[in-house]
Amino acid sequence: MPLRTQHEEFLHATMGAMDLVYNLARRFTQRREDTEDLVQETYLAAYRAWCEHRRPRRVEPWIATICLNLGRSRYRRGVRRPIEVSIEDRDFRAPEVGDPERAAEAAMDRQALYEAMERLPEEQRVAIALVDLAGLSTAEAARAMATPRGTVLSRLHRGRRGLAALLWSEVRGVEE
Amino acid sequence: MRIWLMDRRHDPERNAAAYVSGELSRRARQWFERHILDCDDCWREVLLGRFGRRVAEDAREPVPPGLRDRVRASILLSAD
Repeated sequence: MPLRTQHEEFLHATMGAMDLVYNLARRFTQRREDTEDLVQETYLAAYRAWCEHRRPRRVEPWIATICLNLGRSRYRRGVRRPIEVSIEDRDFRAPEVGDPERAAEAAMDRQALYEAMERLPEEQRVAIALVDLAGLSTAEAARAMATPRGTVLSRLHRGRRGLAALLWSEVRGVEE
Repeated sequence: MRIWLMDRRHDPERNAAAYVSGELSRRARQWFERHILDCDDCWREVLLGRFGRRVAEDAREPVPPGLRDRVRASILLSAD
């Protein structure tokens, strides 16, 4: 069996976590370009750690923690500087459907969902991103967030409840 | 997996979060499922938690085309 180079080994081990990293990075950034930059930064930082023989037992929580730390510093930087949001940034990809009316509805749903997520406090958003979007256990999320597991459970639940309330008021607003 | 309620701490938030996340042991789950039939607070939190989780999962976005290649290329470049 041929020996793999270090970078091949790294890519083989981590590329499967791209979906997780992307969705986590999405919670820290408003513009898609920034999300992609954060994903790339995360992979480069993870690769540097990998080359220093810091290999995780499980890739997902490890790379999620790297993304979380980079995202938090980026988010804090982002808060201080004005954020330009173009129309394209808010252009949510609708599922492939033949009916333009349904496609528009789907895009509106996505918009409402995204905005509801944005309105949650950061720590609740992060707990949701780690557990519900990235699929980490609450124990793994607690390690990544350097918080007790009980705190993660509370944040997670408050975030879920917040989303439920925000989306519910959205639905009622449309019906009324 | 620990369940707060079984430690005599009635904490609907944490119990609902652990239950909705599927993190309770079989014994704790069975116990909690019996409990929510009699406890309006826990029942309500479970319903809200389930709905919120489903909503959160719907927020998952696909990785844009080209990003994998971009990341792969940046790793290859930094490996040189």
